[in-house]
Amino acid sequence: MIKQILATLAVSAGALAAASPALADYPERNVQGIIQWGAGGATDTVARSLTPHVEDALGTSIILNNRPGGTGVIGMNAVMQQPANGYTVLYGAENPQLYPIMGLADFDYSDMTPVNVIGQGLVVIAAPADSQFDSFKDLLDYAHQHPGELRMGGTGAGGLPSTVLAMVNSVDSLDVRNVTFGGDGPGITALLGDHIDFMPLSLAAAQDQIAAGRLKGLAVFTKEKIKELPDTPPITQALPKIESYLPWGPFWAVAVRKDTPDDIVATLSDAYQKGVANEDFQTFLSENGGKSLNLQGEEAEKFLKHWQSVTAWALQKAGGAKVSPEEVGIPKP
Amino acid sequence: MGDTLSYFLMAWLDPSLLMLTAIGTLAGIYVGAIPGLSVTMATSILISFTFSWDVNDALALIVGIYTGGVYGGSRTAIMLNIPGAPSSVATSFDGYPLAQQGEAGRAIGLSTVMSVIGGLLGTLVLASVAPFLADMALEFAPRDYFLIAALGLLLVGSLAAESLSRGIFAAAMGAVIGLVGLDPVTADPRFTLGSMQLMGGIHYVVVMIGMFGVAEAFFQLHQLNAKPVRQKVDKIIPSLRLVLKYLPLSIRTSLIGVIVGALPGTGGDIASLFAYDHAKRSVKNPSKPFGQGAYEGLVAPETANNAAVGGAYVPMLTLGMPGDAVTAIIIGALIIHGLNPGPMLMIQTPHIFWFTVGNLVLANIFLLIFGLTGIKIFAKVVELPKAILIPLILVLCVVGSYSLNSSMTQVYWMLGFGLLGYFMKIFRFQMGPVILGVILGPLMDQTYRQAMSSVGDDSGAFLLSLVTNPLSLVLTIAVVLLLLSNTPLKRVFRRRGQA
Repeated sequence: MIKQILATLAVSAGALAAASPALADYPERNVQGIIQWGAGGATDTVARSLTPHVEDALGTSIILNNRPGGTGVIGMNAVMQQPANGYTVLYGAENPQLYPIMGLADFDYSDMTPVNVIGQGLVVIAAPADSQFDSFKDLLDYAHQHPGELRMGGTGAGGLPSTVLAMVNSVDSLDVRNVTFGGDGPGITALLGDHIDFMPLSLAAAQDQIAAGRLKGLAVFTKEKIKELPDTPPITQALPKIESYLPWGPFWAVAVRKDTPDDIVATLSDAYQKGVANEDFQTFLSENGGKSLNLQGEEAEKFLKHWQSVTAWALQKAGGAKVSPEEVGIPKP
Repeated sequence: MGDTLSYFLMAWLDPSLLMLTAIGTLAGIYVGAIPGLSVTMATSILISFTFSWDVNDALALIVGIYTGGVYGGSRTAIMLNIPGAPSSVATSFDGYPLAQQGEAGRAIGLSTVMSVIGGLLGTLVLASVAPFLADMALEFAPRDYFLIAALGLLLVGSLAAESLSRGIFAAAMGAVIGLVGLDPVTADPRFTLGSMQLMGGIHYVVVMIGMFGVAEAFFQLHQLNAKPVRQKVDKIIPSLRLVLKYLPLSIRTSLIGVIVGALPGTGGDIASLFAYDHAKRSVKNPSKPFGQGAYEGLVAPETANNAAVGGAYVPMLTLGMPGDAVTAIIIGALIIHGLNPGPMLMIQTPHIFWFTVGNLVLANIFLLIFGLTGIKIFAKVVELPKAILIPLILVLCVVGSYSLNSSMTQVYWMLGFGLLGYFMKIFRFQMGPVILGVILGPLMDQTYRQAMSSVGDDSGAFLLSLVTNPLSLVLTIAVVLLLLSNTPLKRVFRRRGQA
């Protein structure tokens, strides 16, 4: 009896082994999607709005799982530990591109294969509604006369506010007290309570507060005015020299392990391309202050490289990088 | 007014919304009862699940899960000494002793009624003074959160039952565990020993499951042959007289719950510990001494953690800012469903506020019904032979910690903390202070550094800011008084007063 069972098992195992090289069948089961940030945040919201549309195109379910921690290192590492068979995909933000220069990990997106660069967020520098400053220029003038007095909300080394500050500091001087919060949400709460003077925020997090008049937009981090905040001047008005960095903003991407077979990457890329292009998702992105990119293959790689080089060297110039970009092989822009 | 009433009754009159609230509440009770299966997790899974639903349906289900889940944690805390969630840690202090005296059924009955009272009072505060409370919450500067965290850490004085020095040791250990991970300001690894897995820190729920669940299971092996306590299953529903007797206390602890819940950054876990401490200090003649099965020790945390639910909705509905982890996910859900959860929410979608209030009331009614039925069967769990109960507890602990983020690393950590907790129990250390430290250590670290950098890293200016702002001054005085009350100085004063 036992022999029989063993024999059956052996035969079915053999059949499985014979069947698995037939990769044309991908996907033949559920795909795991690992989100490198916590539930309720921007990356999570983007991932959860996009995925149902991708599932339709891919013809299978994508089980989403948040693996936050260590600025996203934990989630990305988890994906890189799984087999390179396209059954585990990473939903990431811009952070991996700064891991090498922040000394957080020795990997970044170039150690994975990008499936899609979904879109980019816009950045706005916000202040409390009753702030004495009406534009970023006012704030700069004040800071020049009173260095080290203004309180800027930040999200820690390598976070969006510290990168924006580094870019400003590489073309001007802005000496502030950096007060660190757990994210955009707690930062906005502190702005509303007048506990900090200004904070660079993602447009998605700040636009409703600005529209409702509870926060004031000092500058948008773009070359031109944007339609979402028609009354807020672009940062180039106060700092023309910062133009070389623009357009800049956080982004969201989907990636798989580097050695994933080409045909699987192609299937995934195709599904994600359709998912991002979906009308509902496009509406979602634009309503939440994001710009759709929908990049695949070489275009995606080019975008990622460019973003990394611009940001890393700006941080280096302002003294915000722990490891020189040169040392980890990031070329100058 | 007519609109308000119709929004309020939306979930009451629509059969499908009514059903969803009921299902959510029932499911929440069981999700909450299993350590590690948290409301946060359940809501984030639901969001993918309810993507194509109507937004009201999704919100009704989430309100139910939230209300039921916060309550559910008390069940296992009472029966097995294993809190289902950090907000039920305080419930185990007196709930488990009651179960050991054969009063598990009564304890569950009382905690159900008290949870409902807390939940309804929290909702009442939400409905009546939400905008005012939200503006008040915004007044709390980083230094005030620092003072609250300090106040919380001083609760070790009432959590450490017999030995204050052991309590302080345990709390300090918890605080250090809480600091593991990336430094929030500089992103430098702290206490990670070069391990990438440790960069994300140690999840406090893992510590809780290990120290309460596994340690308790190991400890019970000592009395493997002890006969299980026979449970009295009569008088499960507390009498009106008993409820009225505890009404003043439950109103006070509900207020603590709703205020701590409304502060973005603190939630039901801290609120229930504050409430327990308040009961211990204010009730002169408890039904039994605290820590040995005082009903008051059950009333306080159970009202506070459910009142904190209403509190957490306050900043969410008025400002679009989350009051805790669950409301942060609800905000994400609203965004996915195309709503704008910000200051404009009440203007653009006026029904959301009263719909949620109505739903919370409804969920609390269902909680009363579901909570009070089936207690007799539940109480029998305590009568199970140890040989069945202990493996069952261990399985739940493994499932709970694995499902935190589908990773075996968490399970290993949980087992490690279980072993540590077992030896700490043998040497008569309390587990409560450890959890207190894990939750408050990081809050204190972050807020202290925020407060310091706000004043330009000037210690003099920092100390001055603690006494020049009225709100901070009140909190500073509270910290000083609490500190003094834990020292021999208090006894000196008391003796003088008597002389």
